[in-house]
Amino acid sequence: MPEANNYLLPMLLIVPLLGAVVGAFIHNGPHARHWALMISVITFAVSVVLGFQFYHGASLEFFPVGYEIQSLGFGLHLRLDAVSLWLAILTTFLTPLAIAFSFDSIRDREREYYAWMNALLLTMLGVFVAGDVLLFYVFFELTLVPMFFIIGIWGGPQRRYAAAKFFLFTFTGSVFTLAAAIYVGVHAGTFAIFDTIDADGHLRIGAVTFAQQNLSQTERWWVLLGFLAGFAVKVPLFPVHTWLPLAHTEAPTAGSVILAGVMLKLGTYGLFRLAVPIGLLSSAGLAFPGLVQVVGVFCVIGVIYAALVAWVQPDIKKLVAYSSVSHLGFCVLGLFALNDIGMQGSVLYMINHGLSTGAMFLVIGMIYDRYHTRDINELSGLTRRMPILGFFFVFFVMASIGLPGLNGFWSEFLTILGAFTSPYLGPAFGMFAALGIILGAVYMLHMTARVMFGPLKVPTVEAHGHASEEHAGSNVLAYERHAPPPHPGDINRWEIALLTPIALAIVVLGVKPGLVTDRMLGPIQAIRMPLINNPSPSAGNDASQKQVVARATQN
Amino acid sequence: MSSIFVNMWPESLLVIVGCVLLLFGTAKTPAARRISPILALGSLIAIFVIEMWGTRSSEVKAVTDSILVYKFQDYIKLISAGAGILLVLLAWPTNSDATGNPALQFGHEAGEFFGLMMLSIAGIFFVASANDIILLFMGIELASIPTYIMVSISRPLPVAQEAGVKYFFLGAMAAAVMLFGFSYIYGTTGQTNLDLIGKAIQLNFPGHEWQLLGVVVLLIGLGFKIAAVPLHAYAGDVYQGAATPVTAFLAFVPKTTGFVAIIKVLFYVSQVGEVHWILPDEIAKFLWVIAVLTMFVGNVLGLLQHNVKRVLAYSSIAHSGYMLVGVTALVTATGQPEVQRAALAGVLFYLASYAIMNSGAFGILMLLPSRDTHVSTFVSLSPDQPNRLTSSGTSAETFEDLAGQGRKHPGLGIAMAICCWSLTGLPLTIGFFGKFFLIKPALQAASANSEISSRMTWLVVLLVINAAISAAYYLKIIATMFLRPEPTPFAGATQPEPESNPRPWPILAGVAISVIGTLAFGVYFPWTDKLWDRTLHADIRGPQAPTTQAVVAAR
Repeated sequence: MPEANNYLLPMLLIVPLLGAVVGAFIHNGPHARHWALMISVITFAVSVVLGFQFYHGASLEFFPVGYEIQSLGFGLHLRLDAVSLWLAILTTFLTPLAIAFSFDSIRDREREYYAWMNALLLTMLGVFVAGDVLLFYVFFELTLVPMFFIIGIWGGPQRRYAAAKFFLFTFTGSVFTLAAAIYVGVHAGTFAIFDTIDADGHLRIGAVTFAQQNLSQTERWWVLLGFLAGFAVKVPLFPVHTWLPLAHTEAPTAGSVILAGVMLKLGTYGLFRLAVPIGLLSSAGLAFPGLVQVVGVFCVIGVIYAALVAWVQPDIKKLVAYSSVSHLGFCVLGLFALNDIGMQGSVLYMINHGLSTGAMFLVIGMIYDRYHTRDINELSGLTRRMPILGFFFVFFVMASIGLPGLNGFWSEFLTILGAFTSPYLGPAFGMFAALGIILGAVYMLHMTARVMFGPLKVPTVEAHGHASEEHAGSNVLAYERHAPPPHPGDINRWEIALLTPIALAIVVLGVKPGLVTDRMLGPIQAIRMPLINNPSPSAGNDASQKQVVARATQN
Repeated sequence: MSSIFVNMWPESLLVIVGCVLLLFGTAKTPAARRISPILALGSLIAIFVIEMWGTRSSEVKAVTDSILVYKFQDYIKLISAGAGILLVLLAWPTNSDATGNPALQFGHEAGEFFGLMMLSIAGIFFVASANDIILLFMGIELASIPTYIMVSISRPLPVAQEAGVKYFFLGAMAAAVMLFGFSYIYGTTGQTNLDLIGKAIQLNFPGHEWQLLGVVVLLIGLGFKIAAVPLHAYAGDVYQGAATPVTAFLAFVPKTTGFVAIIKVLFYVSQVGEVHWILPDEIAKFLWVIAVLTMFVGNVLGLLQHNVKRVLAYSSIAHSGYMLVGVTALVTATGQPEVQRAALAGVLFYLASYAIMNSGAFGILMLLPSRDTHVSTFVSLSPDQPNRLTSSGTSAETFEDLAGQGRKHPGLGIAMAICCWSLTGLPLTIGFFGKFFLIKPALQAASANSEISSRMTWLVVLLVINAAISAAYYLKIIATMFLRPEPTPFAGATQPEPESNPRPWPILAGVAISVIGTLAFGVYFPWTDKLWDRTLHADIRGPQAPTTQAVVAAR
């Protein structure tokens, strides 16, 4: 428990807030861009310093006295542990790259755009640092606002529909989360997630402990459903994923990077932080074994179904969007395996998927800026004209399909192993999910082969963008109107500089996943505590699991 | 005798100012028209300031046996005066000859208009302080009758006349229903004093179905005031027909009157011994059904509208439904005084938050131009009253009018977005805490026993579903303003592009206060805490009620 507040932690929120507010009044043009980039880089620096502090044993908590609604037990309680720290670093790592990429592709209403990007950074970080259920919900909900505008103003031809669908789907899900959060908070008398020790040295139990000890089975069921409703839409799990392909495809490139890279993780992180410990586990162990299997089935269906759908997509961006649905199925499957391996793999998956899919969207954005098309049928043999881009493209595809040595391998391996050995899921789940890996390789390589190799074929591009189909004549799409004129050369140094850090991170995590997973066992076991205390009868192979973890994390 | 005027000075002040302003109406000079709103605003500010920072009623001031002033009454006066300030600012005359403002057209009747406004607000005060059903009924009518006139004189259009007449006839009918209910209560108890009724009433004992019938009929009559389904049918036409500032007035005054009256009536008829809020379960079920119907009908009809004022009208019905959830929790949580206190506070908090955010939304509509130049719809009513509406009375009304305005006027656009998001219930706005404080007691009431528990949990689930439905149309307003381009006139159309509306300072000030209030109470928790604290302690009557006791003894 902390002796003192860590005053660097709130800087993680204050810097982007400042950036967004000041950025909204800066002159359009270079000033706005550079300001936004500077802010996001500073935020990244803050998160890295926090990471170093954490690995040197400092506590990452911030709990100002006085700024709270006392009658509710609701205050500004910030906290980072190993899991949320890495997700926060992922966020601050991807955002500067997304902003820097937008320098060329966004030429319309720049000031607003960059202000929204910084606001988005603020709200996403807020979700990860929240140590309070209600604060979590507040930031979770607020991420919708900047993303709504980023898709709706700077998106593709169907941007208005996509933005509204995105907002309404996620909002509808998360209002149930709000009801569940209020229910727990009201009955616990506090919204703090974790147990805390107050000034007098008394233990004040948080919402998680309270819920595990005191909720009746019926109450827990409803609370769990409330949490699942919000987070399953955000992840998105199979039956409620339909907003995702549209939103990803219509969003501008930077928006897709953030959406796939970070925003989907808000859902999995919410499952990890709230739904599992509050709703699924009770002090007597696992409360709803049947539900775990149902979610597992939906995950597996999602993995396979989305992979099959991705296979037949003619649009590269949509293909990658469906691949996200498929990959997030693995992530949730690992989480619901509810063992150390599966959950470690799941958290690692969140980070790896953020890196590789974010990078894929960047590369696709670069192709789109050159040829103004993403149609697989119109593109072929691009490596002949753009060898460097081709290299990065193939590299990220390999990371995405889980080539050993790159990051994707470890997380897929661990999640499937987790599902396989889980006493709650079992080998069948692991087997069908593994089918998803094969399908993933099939559709990704199929697409890569057609777009990158073979005879060179590129569309003939008109001098300026096409008129919108929606409003013929008067309203040329903002995105296309202001897109730079096509310049069908290879990627320039600036673009290489954007892709290299991600590629490096992918290699580093590929050869040393322990960098991330090492310290994660603590928080994960804290969440699994009821299960550790009450091992299920069939969970006899716990010892062998630990060995595998040790082996996996030594690398 | 003097103590009446000392303790009832707000009522007295408003009635006197109202009468003086009616006299001002006979002077047809611009000077008289200009001074009327200043007088009105000054008296409301005086009441607001003294109720806010002046002496609080720490003890019951039962002035006579028909008047009782305590914290609840003070709170109602505080928020009514506060909302009244905003509404006077929105209606401020700004024409050169002070005959109207951008949306409002009162011709020579400025004095009468503001006089009626004062009398109507005085009506709320009387409803709050009445301790006698006769005075209560008179207060309700004092609040209502001026609004019928205000609707009709607000603009010289047939649609406004129709709205006024419709509102009047239905209102008269509702008053009759209300009196019918009062007659049962009077007939079975033989009392008109609410204290004595509370002592005499036997609602919770078998054999007193007539009293129960009286209460239900009374609730139906009051349901008209709050536009509860199935008595909501007038709202759409009346809100659309009235000028925008009057619509804002209608969204607050009758609703507040209705809720205050419902709370007071239920408070007194539920008395058993010295304990209040003990009601037969039938009433709780009745309110449950009305609340659900009101939320769903309001929101679903709101989704289908093309006119923004109609959207806000139906959303106003839905907001009544949300507040009815609080009332339902209040009467359901029998035997849980803390929960009942929180439920009452939730309704009172919501009244204040709705007043703040809704006035802002209407104010912004007034500042945006209408594309319809009213050539065809605006018909001059009499030859000596020339049609001035080409220069005023052009408040934005339809989605067409709003299209693209967020880009054209970013300040107004952002303000509208904040108000709409607050009405949706998004975090960092007062609307979020409004919904929060309604959901909280409903869930606490849920734990009373299992049958009630599932009933109240369902009510909360239905509430959050409705919040999600309402998000669709509020989002449509925002999306129309920011994402839709301004419609281009048809080729060959002769009508000129609408000019920007003038931006008179009083209206801007009203909008600014609303928007800042909406944000401040959502962001700065100590203020939220303070307002919540005030509502939490808004007892209708204290433990001691000396004068009334004396009255009882004297009889």
